Amino acid sequence: MSEQTVYLRLGPFTAALTTPFAEVVEELKQLYPASFFQDRAEFADFHVALLPGKGMHRHLRKQARFLIDGQEHFKPLPADQALALVEWGLNYAIAGLAHHYLIVHAAAVEKNGRVAILPGSPGAGKSTLTAGLIHRGWRLLSDELALIRRHDGKVVPLARPVNLKNQSIDLMRRFAPGAVFSAPAFDTVKGTVALMRAPEESLARVDEAAPPGWIVFPQWRQGDPARLSPFSRPAGLVEIAHNSMNYSLHGEDGFELLAGIFADSFCYRFSYGDLNEAASAMNALAAA
Amino acid sequence: MNAALSSPDMAAAEGETWRVAGQARWRLWEDEAVVYNGRTGDTHHLADFAAWVFAALCRSPASAAGLARESLASVELRSGETPEAAITRTLDLLRRLTLIEKTRPETER
Repeated sequence: MSEQTVYLRLGPFTAALTTPFAEVVEELKQLYPASFFQDRAEFADFHVALLPGKGMHRHLRKQARFLIDGQEHFKPLPADQALALVEWGLNYAIAGLAHHYLIVHAAAVEKNGRVAILPGSPGAGKSTLTAGLIHRGWRLLSDELALIRRHDGKVVPLARPVNLKNQSIDLMRRFAPGAVFSAPAFDTVKGTVALMRAPEESLARVDEAAPPGWIVFPQWRQGDPARLSPFSRPAGLVEIAHNSMNYSLHGEDGFELLAGIFADSFCYRFSYGDLNEAASAMNALAAA
Repeated sequence: MNAALSSPDMAAAEGETWRVAGQARWRLWEDEAVVYNGRTGDTHHLADFAAWVFAALCRSPASAAGLARESLASVELRSGETPEAAITRTLDLLRRLTLIEKTRPETER
């Protein structure tokens, strides 16, 4: 297997990925537009590598390792999970290195010039809601890491493939029949995972940051009607701070940045059980 | 002094005045407060009576007895405590979080 290096655009960043896994490069080409994919770049923010396993394990089952600047931060995974490993590894690299942004573990989608920040613990339905909204008129800024610019509080797009898990994969195939999906990876630590390509419009507008207008904490529960309930800004701010990768690094500036965002935004809890209903409720919110 | 505010603790505390600590940054929204403590790096959400006490100290430094008197007219206590007990407990909580501090008496300045 001969190694190749490709340069991948991730919002404001460029990642240089070196790998001998040609099939992973081909899958990435399906998930990112051609303009995001280069053979050469003058500068790369992250130098990452996807390499085969080493040691005795590699003889038992083909493995993949992910390295950031030559350092291996994760245990190897089965090679058929290599694409998921790349996406998770890139998130890890951004969260660990891009401290000139306030980084919140949250999705971010935009409509009518305002961003809805959607924090959510695992299982809350954040990625599913995001995937649904971006096929009902919202622009994808991020499905995993909201990058908040420090000098003006705007959210910077990090439009990348959306991570879907388990039953959300088939749900989204039905909800957005025209969407492009990767092959599913089975038996990962998160169950079955697949990536859904970001809509063209979101990718075309990847340089357009936008100000937050809503902080929405989603919670999926089977059978729940879609309901937005006003939520305390102080409680929401503390929850966002806990969901941030680097809030503590920013100290008082981080607090003032979040306080400014909450002062200019509406804050809600959002329970939903049906994606169509959820999209209608969010569209009504954006239109109000 | 109001008879209800004549406990020994209150009398002893009458001369002590509390203020928001210099390292605190805060926002008051919807009868609640969110406070960043620059000394510890912690961010706190204050609700109910604690938020009322903190907001009162944001307006101006005050003694425990003064806060207890003000609370009678301004806020309903749901815990069943007397105003003095609630103020003492809340000031102690905010002091332990280093969100408030005593002002220095004139003689120490």
